[in-house]
Amino acid sequence: MAVGEEKAKNKRGVLGWLDPYHYNAERWAYFFQRVTGVAILLYVLGHLGDTSFFVGGPTGTGPSPSAWEFIGSIFENSFGHLILILVVLVLFFHGVNGVRLILAEFGLILRKPSAIEYPYRPKGLGFGQKVLIYVAIAIAVAAATWAFLVLFEGMG
Amino acid sequence: MRESRLMLVQYATAVAAVALVSVHLIMQGVIYPYATAISFNNILSIYKNGFYAIFLEALLVVVLVHGFNGVRIILNELRQTKPWTAWVDAVTVLAIVVAVAYGTRTVILAVFGGGPV
Repeated sequence: MAVGEEKAKNKRGVLGWLDPYHYNAERWAYFFQRVTGVAILLYVLGHLGDTSFFVGGPTGTGPSPSAWEFIGSIFENSFGHLILILVVLVLFFHGVNGVRLILAEFGLILRKPSAIEYPYRPKGLGFGQKVLIYVAIAIAVAAATWAFLVLFEGMG
Repeated sequence: MRESRLMLVQYATAVAAVALVSVHLIMQGVIYPYATAISFNNILSIYKNGFYAIFLEALLVVVLVHGFNGVRIILNELRQTKPWTAWVDAVTVLAIVVAVAYGTRTVILAVFGGGPV
């Protein structure tokens, strides 16, 4: 492969994340860690906006039941609750998978390095990390199920 | 600040966010039923509790620093030129300041603002 082609291949930016060719579980976990992180930040910014209606919104001056009731009438419905369940799903995946990444960063769950050999097939990161990825998915699904029961079935 | 320090900030805020968000979620659907948790009077009593107001402010700062620093890391991975990095870093700081200021305004008005209107 020519130098220019190699450079182009490695500079696909965000589009490179979306190419699932040669993806393994760890690569998908990397992809979803980024996507869920951005999604959660967007939700947090929206949440900053909607909670500000507790004090009357951007021009408010103090606690306002009418403004709070207004914002509740927009978001407290089945669609809003569905969004909250999705937020819980991605939040828990991001959190647990993030703990895995921190453990890996400090070398606690890395396996021994091995020689890099042609044709450079992607290698797994080891049993512990794969288990933690699946644990993150399981906890996220369990938390989303709990959120569903709280929001739609009145549990809690 | 050096990039290695900023990554430590990212990990420290991540750990703090896991703890603080967990407590926040428990308050929303475990300790109180959800309908009670989001009722006006319940939220007002929570804000008026100084400890929980400080907790919410800490949650605000930790989550926003972690979130915007995360986006900064992603953007700096896409391009590594000095002007790009400088702009991304500057916009990140500005975004954190603006968002924290807006959220802090909500907390302050909820705690110290006039009576319900």
